[in-house]
Amino acid sequence: MPITIQPYLPEHEPAVAEFSQRLKTATNDPSLVFPRYAVPRWLPPRPGQSVWNEFFLAVEGSAVRGAYGLKQEQLFVREKGTYTAACYHHSLAEGIIDRAYASVGVLLVRDAVARQPLLYVLGMGGPNTPIARMLKALGFSLTALPFYFRVVHPAKFLLEMQALRENRWRALLMNFAAFTGTGWLGIKTIQAAAGLRTVGADLLAEEVDEFSDWTDGLWNDARESVSLAAVRDTKTLRLLYPPSDTLFTRVRVSRDGKAIGWAVVGERRKDSKYGEMRVGSIVDCWASPENAAAVVRAATHAIEKRNVDLIVSNQGHHLWGRAFETTGYLKGPSTFVLAMSPKLTELLQPFEKNRESIHITRADGDGLPRNF
Amino acid sequence: MPSTIFDQIRTLASDLFATSPDKISQSSSPETVVTWDSVQHLNLVLAVEEKFHLQLSPEEIEQMKTIGDVVKLVEGKLQTAPS
Repeated sequence: MPITIQPYLPEHEPAVAEFSQRLKTATNDPSLVFPRYAVPRWLPPRPGQSVWNEFFLAVEGSAVRGAYGLKQEQLFVREKGTYTAACYHHSLAEGIIDRAYASVGVLLVRDAVARQPLLYVLGMGGPNTPIARMLKALGFSLTALPFYFRVVHPAKFLLEMQALRENRWRALLMNFAAFTGTGWLGIKTIQAAAGLRTVGADLLAEEVDEFSDWTDGLWNDARESVSLAAVRDTKTLRLLYPPSDTLFTRVRVSRDGKAIGWAVVGERRKDSKYGEMRVGSIVDCWASPENAAAVVRAATHAIEKRNVDLIVSNQGHHLWGRAFETTGYLKGPSTFVLAMSPKLTELLQPFEKNRESIHITRADGDGLPRNF
Repeated sequence: MPSTIFDQIRTLASDLFATSPDKISQSSSPETVVTWDSVQHLNLVLAVEEKFHLQLSPEEIEQMKTIGDVVKLVEGKLQTAPS
């Protein structure tokens, strides 16, 4: 029976549940599940909305053999304008568990590119995962978005950070560093040396319940400093971070009463790679580059108040990266990859020059509202 | 003697799947070739398109269950292609 790609409709829901169950049972990986409902809970399509989600299925008879989501949104490209583009996410294929369906992954990606040639994929767990390799073969450009972290509680970090404890000897060494205080001293020294270069104190950072019109001016003023960014005007911000959403803290940063930037911070869900640590994330941020460090500092204070042990962020733009480093963040290895379709990459020519000023954060892609 | 479509596809597949050509038969499939996964399936599609100057539709990609299916597909498309 032929496999066809179709929009996800309510009548497919039982077959989608069975598909998710097959993947989960065969892999023992609870993350391999596709959304249960045909109408997306996050950003469902609504008339006049600039960002929305839609789902598609690979259907064979009455069975679902694959699925993916597209988050349609507006991307700003410097000197070119604003385009409707899409983020390809949640792609799952029966080929993961049954090689007879090896073609499904290809069908899904090609279908997505046909529906929206300006396509990007974010995250993927690194450049060598099957999905990343598949996109590379299809001519997508791959860019790792640098990872920045700031240790708030060094002892907990040394005891819980799983990447530092890969073997018994390293684990013992980390225990020693944690219990004697040498680790605390080392980490604080590195961060303090970097943190000394932060901006002055003539700033006001305030937590706001919602974004309003003042963000439009910031968006317009700073957008030419990036080669590419997902639009962050007031309308979009209110969709991404609705006032009802209490997971996030929205921070407005101003100087002499004038808004100069904003940030969104939140605490991440527990993740085995961080052990028992409470991990805060600077999810999203915006300002002109000269004000980036002030915004990072304000965002850091806001998330430290939640008593997190570690703060993380991914930043594509090199000037934002520098702002994080001057605010005491360390740069670590990144598995957060941005893959852009050939058409989208073409818009960014000369790509090697423009690649370093792409402003993509953890708020882009499918990360919100819970998986940032 | 000019090589057959099967020979050419067998060469492509053996390069992609890093296996000896004599291990590739008409009935070879992702279930019998260990290295034929979803990524290599895509690479096979791209290699066939490039080698034979073809564009494969989603329906045709989905039909490529065995090497024999790929051969039949390519032969059919080459016959109907404008000369």
